[in-house]
Amino acid sequence: MAQSSTEPTIAALDRKPKKNKNIVVRMFKQWDIQLMVWPGLLLVFVFSYLPMYGVLTSFMDYSIFTGGNIWANPWVGFKHFKMFFEAPEFFEVMRNTIVISLLKFVIGFPAPIALALMLNEVRHMVFKRVVQTITYLPHFMSWVIVAGLTMAMLSTENGSVNMLLEKIRLIDEPVNFLSIKEYFWSILVSANVWKEIGFGSIVYLAAISGVDPHLYEAADIDGASKFRQIYFITIPSILPVIIIFMILSIGNLLNAGFEDILLLATNPVLRPVSDVIDTYVYRVGLSNFRYSYATAVGLFKAVISIGLLTMANYLARRSGNSLW
Amino acid sequence: MTKVRKTTMLLVSAILVLATVLAGCSSNNNKNEPSPSPSSEASNTPSNSNETPSEAPSDVWEFGSEPLEFSMYGHYSWYDVPAWDSTVAGRWLKENKQLNIVPVSAGGNPEQKLSTMIASQSLPDVMWMDRGADVERLRQAGMLVPFDDYLDKYPNLKTWMGKDLNLLRSEDGKLYQFPNWYTGRPNGNAGYVINKKIYEELGSPPLETTDDLYNYLTAVKAKYGDTVVPYEPHLAKDLQGLGVLYTAFGENYLYSYLNASLRAVPQGEQLTSLFTDPVFREAMKYIAKLYREKLISQDAFTQTVDQIEEKVMQGRVAVFASSSPTTIAMQAHQELAKQDPNAGYFMIWPIHKPGLDKNKIFPGTYTALGWNVNVITKNAKDPEKIFAFLDWYTGPEGQSLLFFGPEGKNWKGFDADGHPIFTDQYDAAEVLELQKAHDPIMWNGNTGYIDPAKMKYEAKLPPEEQNWAARYQSTITWLTQANATEFINLDPLPDSELGIVKQRVDDIWDQAYAQAVMAKDDAEVDSILDKAEKDAQEAGYADLLAFRTEAWQKNKAIIAGN
Repeated sequence: MAQSSTEPTIAALDRKPKKNKNIVVRMFKQWDIQLMVWPGLLLVFVFSYLPMYGVLTSFMDYSIFTGGNIWANPWVGFKHFKMFFEAPEFFEVMRNTIVISLLKFVIGFPAPIALALMLNEVRHMVFKRVVQTITYLPHFMSWVIVAGLTMAMLSTENGSVNMLLEKIRLIDEPVNFLSIKEYFWSILVSANVWKEIGFGSIVYLAAISGVDPHLYEAADIDGASKFRQIYFITIPSILPVIIIFMILSIGNLLNAGFEDILLLATNPVLRPVSDVIDTYVYRVGLSNFRYSYATAVGLFKAVISIGLLTMANYLARRSGNSLW
Repeated sequence: MTKVRKTTMLLVSAILVLATVLAGCSSNNNKNEPSPSPSSEASNTPSNSNETPSEAPSDVWEFGSEPLEFSMYGHYSWYDVPAWDSTVAGRWLKENKQLNIVPVSAGGNPEQKLSTMIASQSLPDVMWMDRGADVERLRQAGMLVPFDDYLDKYPNLKTWMGKDLNLLRSEDGKLYQFPNWYTGRPNGNAGYVINKKIYEELGSPPLETTDDLYNYLTAVKAKYGDTVVPYEPHLAKDLQGLGVLYTAFGENYLYSYLNASLRAVPQGEQLTSLFTDPVFREAMKYIAKLYREKLISQDAFTQTVDQIEEKVMQGRVAVFASSSPTTIAMQAHQELAKQDPNAGYFMIWPIHKPGLDKNKIFPGTYTALGWNVNVITKNAKDPEKIFAFLDWYTGPEGQSLLFFGPEGKNWKGFDADGHPIFTDQYDAAEVLELQKAHDPIMWNGNTGYIDPAKMKYEAKLPPEEQNWAARYQSTITWLTQANATEFINLDPLPDSELGIVKQRVDDIWDQAYAQAVMAKDDAEVDSILDKAEKDAQEAGYADLLAFRTEAWQKNKAIIAGN
């Protein structure tokens, strides 16, 4: 037992000076560790890098009948990108994408942190567990169900929201929530927060549980109030986690959502506020066999996302918490 | 201890590596198989088709004489081919005709499934799908089997469809599609269903003109308030009850004019813009007025079919209109009548604008080609045998099996017209049950044969005992559906220049239509439609209309040539 626990340390010490040795020999020496790394690398390579050659079709007129042999398609340069930038919908789609994703980021990102902080202060264990379970359950429901629920609740005929508002005399007659442009963004963001808040908070709760309790005791002795403890101990302690999740969600900024919008914005009247890149690609590209066009729009989105991610990471590095 | 640990780790790692390699391999295979050099690809497909003629003797293959198995796929998000054993007809065919059909599921995402099957060259033997771009694309790529050699050998399709078959022929003059619900007779269910109890409580006022309808809906609203929906149009974003209402405003104005596959009004020999059409504008103003005064369900554009069904089933709608209200209404009628013999639903003669001839109002349409088609792909080993089955299936024996069950119980033998002779043990409830269960395997329904066959039984009964839907079909809906065969196949290929124009026009239409229904006043309806017309013209609506006019004239020539 003692022998086995000291072995890695010795090995580690052993390896350091030999850094200049042939890389193959070195890898062979750590074969047991390498064996665990390679499957992961292979997985990433096969499923994330290998299919990437497909982006080439955005510079071609791809026909599905050529199958996997994409080289049989004619090259057309930036034709599809140009078409997207010149499409009459371009500005509307871009604006909606940016606004919806910013709203989701500004509201949806801090919401789970707030919930985690609040839950952390709950002393009644049963209550805490119940709340936790109830809030994270919606995460496991598909958008079809969540959208169905939302639509039933907001319906003008026997919709519970309208009934409630009528009963407390806030409105005289039912409001057609899902047909009024001005309400759509708030409905969409609320439904998203409701669905994901609990699941998002799990990570932060875990991070909070790792904070050294002595810090709170010391703060208590110094007479710090609960709010000051949260502000000066809890938040700084989980800041690295927050920053990493923030970088990741900034990389996701152009993913304004797809299913949720497709299912909630059924009324075409909403299209000027609900059409985002993904729904546009689905409607114009995939349903009409315009694969090259869809790929071009997708590639455009990916390039911007990488840019955003790099920028966020650069900013984070200055605070010492970057991803790479 | 160390040894054990190392061995365990080695094992775990080995399993992990193996799993990854396997996963990697399988995904590689999928990608690589379809992408060998173009020459081998080209040689692959024809080799399949070359085999068939050599195998196909000139004599007729009798369905059932040898075992037959093929795969089948339905190109719809709401549909999957059921397990062949799961239906009465399927079991019977398996036992008596040695037929097995292997379902291929679309998994709720048909676009992706079809794309994958095309790209990986793993198409099923038979596909059930809409006419139009998808079929045309497959044909151009040489993936479909033409039926011309089989038509005379297996004569049912030719007999029942007649010369209308020519409309299904592709550009190369060959026939690749086996139609479903094709017919030479009017059929369809579009129209208005009225809630009997509410109607009688309001004193059974006349319901013939658009003015009558408006007064009636207002009366419903005044008496029942929020508890009853005066006018339920089904899913308004698919037109449905609102499209039905549009037909009230013009003699011989068809619901099809509004459909995405036409979206135009014929004026003389030309197809012209809908947005500027006075009849369309008048209808939109009427509909907008109803919507504004909350006489049309305010959820019309957002609700789901479940919500509609619930409302109708509970009797919470006064007027229910759609392009096929009968399915829901019949069920609801039976439920409501069980609890209260005075409750239920009935259908009325289509509403018309005062001054128009009510016999020239057509809330629905039918086409001689029916609904969708079956195609046989070149992947099929024995296309002729599959065709032989399809032809048997669409003939009297196949149709009677689907509608009335295996011969012996409900029917035995055929009469002089070729219709089944019903026995004394005929069980109406069982037949209804069978038809519902067989619905998903009715791939090539023969409307012209089965409608009269069904009516033969119903006609013997007094009206009250007749099947609810059949009763109104024979007295109302079949008399008020117009023939729209000349307006089929007017779509450009979706990824062509015109296809892109069509997509833009459709987007503009979707929005303008919903906006116009929700407009505050008549002036706003006009301004919305003016703007839509302007946007559509900028997108190239005129070119699309010209293209469609030409295709329409071609259709008319084929029909006249019959």
